[in-house]
Amino acid sequence: MAAISPQTTFQGDIFSAPLVHTDKNLLACVEPDYKPFIPANSLRRMTRVLKIGLTTALQCINGSGVETIGPIVTGTGKGSLQDTEKFIREIEQYKETALNPTPFIQSTYNSVNGLIALQVKGTAYNNTFVHRGFSFENALLDSMMLLAEGAPNTLTGAFEEITAEHFYIKSRIGFWKDAPTDNRALYETLTPGSIAGEGATFFLLTGTPAPNSKAALTGFKMLYKPAEAKLAAALAEMAAGADLVLTGRNGDSRYEHYYQQLDTLLPGIPQLPFKHLCGEHDTAGAFGMWLGAQILHAQQVPAQWFPMLKDIPATAGKILLYNHFYGEQHAIMVLERV
Amino acid sequence: MAERVFITGMGMITAIGDNVAENLERLRQQRSGLGFTSYIDTIYKQVLPVAEVKHNNDALFALAGITPREGYTRTTLLGLAAMREALRQAGIADIQSAPTGFINASTVGGMCDTEKVYFDIINPEKNGTFLQYIDTLDCADCTQRIADIVGFSEHIATISTACSSSANALMFGARMIKQGFLPRMVCGGTEALTRFTLNGFNSLKNIDKQFCRPFDQQRTGLNLGEGAAYLVLESESFARANNSRILAEFTGYCNANEAFHPTSPSPDGDGAYEAMKSALAMSGRTLGEVDYINVHGTATLNNDVSEGKALERLFGSGVPRFSSTKPFTGHTLAAAGAIEAIYAVLAIQQGIIFPNLNFKEKMEELNITPVTELMEGVSVNNVISNSFGFGGNNASLVISKYEG
Repeated sequence: MAAISPQTTFQGDIFSAPLVHTDKNLLACVEPDYKPFIPANSLRRMTRVLKIGLTTALQCINGSGVETIGPIVTGTGKGSLQDTEKFIREIEQYKETALNPTPFIQSTYNSVNGLIALQVKGTAYNNTFVHRGFSFENALLDSMMLLAEGAPNTLTGAFEEITAEHFYIKSRIGFWKDAPTDNRALYETLTPGSIAGEGATFFLLTGTPAPNSKAALTGFKMLYKPAEAKLAAALAEMAAGADLVLTGRNGDSRYEHYYQQLDTLLPGIPQLPFKHLCGEHDTAGAFGMWLGAQILHAQQVPAQWFPMLKDIPATAGKILLYNHFYGEQHAIMVLERV
Repeated sequence: MAERVFITGMGMITAIGDNVAENLERLRQQRSGLGFTSYIDTIYKQVLPVAEVKHNNDALFALAGITPREGYTRTTLLGLAAMREALRQAGIADIQSAPTGFINASTVGGMCDTEKVYFDIINPEKNGTFLQYIDTLDCADCTQRIADIVGFSEHIATISTACSSSANALMFGARMIKQGFLPRMVCGGTEALTRFTLNGFNSLKNIDKQFCRPFDQQRTGLNLGEGAAYLVLESESFARANNSRILAEFTGYCNANEAFHPTSPSPDGDGAYEAMKSALAMSGRTLGEVDYINVHGTATLNNDVSEGKALERLFGSGVPRFSSTKPFTGHTLAAAGAIEAIYAVLAIQQGIIFPNLNFKEKMEELNITPVTELMEGVSVNNVISNSFGFGGNNASLVISKYEG
């Protein structure tokens, strides 16, 4: 697996990487040097989310020990915003004439998938889900079905970017907090809105444990606009035996009550929130899964990333991950040590 | 052994009709839906033909069965109109009567309406009801609005793989049924014409200023279209217990990537070949049992060579009857796979093969030509439906006559 995120997750030791923080209400990715991954002539044309998506996918493959990549399945809520914005602007600016097609092509939601397939000669199944907080999650479900159908492996991931323009647009409908909020203090004051984020996360999944396996996904559920009782029942059932809960808490007072259910349903099980690390975005759940797998694999929690918590568990054997996107798409996962 | 998957309901709206019956009628009359746009604000209004649904949004609200309100884009309304018909045809009065999933497909979400107010949205000095369209830009918006109006509460998803999107939605739904997640799924896609997409394809020099001419030597590109289509899929055991009226069986499918080029297919049609071959293998049908192929046939220079080569490679000298229905509906992108899947069912039910309009001259690269006249009274038992898209995404579906 691999992740490019607002933290230094792509290279180096995450257990010693300092917490990146800002009070701009927007956590932007720490971008790596792309040159070792993408030929220079391709790199020039590519916009940011294409670069982070493709590079994360390639890094994931490199570290997996798998040589032949099977199906490629991804999720993205917004695709390449930069290209979408650029093409809208150029249509207006050049009065619909002499347009450069590149931003149009790259704005297509499956363009990252196409690039990955091109670069790794991946001719198997290829799919892209574009459903807000169910984008990565549907890609994961699709991958699990593919493995059950006999695929040797799947390359499964998510990518999202936030642009200045889109940050402004979403601020007009209350997505972000009004007051500048340092991500270290995200959980201190409950007010409407969260802080924005972005990132790319990829996993190489197999149906049976492999020497390189980091963790096992043993439970998974998506709930669309569930009644509180339905959600509570699912959380309680899937939490059986869990010794750590990863939550998508994001400081948004409007939807905090969903996360507060965990406090009453699962008293005594330590919780780690992860949105101060990656920011809120459609595919933040993928980052949560990456963090959970890191903890299970290393049998260690990157404690320096949680300065706001008094008691940080040393490790975990079974993790319940619960995340929702603005109260609509709820996802619950169970991750276990291999 | 995984369950068989049956088609038990269909609903659609396209430039040639507001429902399945009207579409069939127009296909029979061989009357194209191509013309010029009334609703897109573009300098190409009288230049680039499109296949537009002949209703303004107010009329679409009526077809969608809801009162006019802010935040409902043309994409959503087209989708709702098609969804209503699909459920009605399947005899589903209440979607909650059985656990039912919804897999939708879209290429640009609510861009049709957002693009009209985008510069107001990014202008801090402007304020108004247009702000209610901010969240309609993404592809999940139409899915969730349709789901919420109809009352879906089980699994929902939106797929975007360019022109193969709704073919992949059908595949995903069928696979969820086979793996036992849900007994009933409604799958398809919705697409509204936009200035964004029109300029996108035009910038790629892929649009014909005349009505498109699939598989013709003189073809110069596609015409865009809009519409929506949904199919109700049911597991065999559910369909039997529910006493559902079975329209056809969904016997095979394949999604394969070409890994050749971001927008162009390979000259020999490797992806198309693989998709058709594997879908047919899954269906358990032989090459000789394929009676009709509803080809992707966009009439772009590259697609028709590539797809034609793939047909010749797979079927040799025995290429089945084939035609592109894009000259009727335009290329409806995310909706195309589902619209053409319904046409495949109609071909089987009615024993007809639709003509490939505007064909005159055989392509020099190929030895095959499409069906050019409406054929009635034909025995059609198995149809392949192709959808190929940007990013090398190829999808083929096999739809077969239901034989108990």
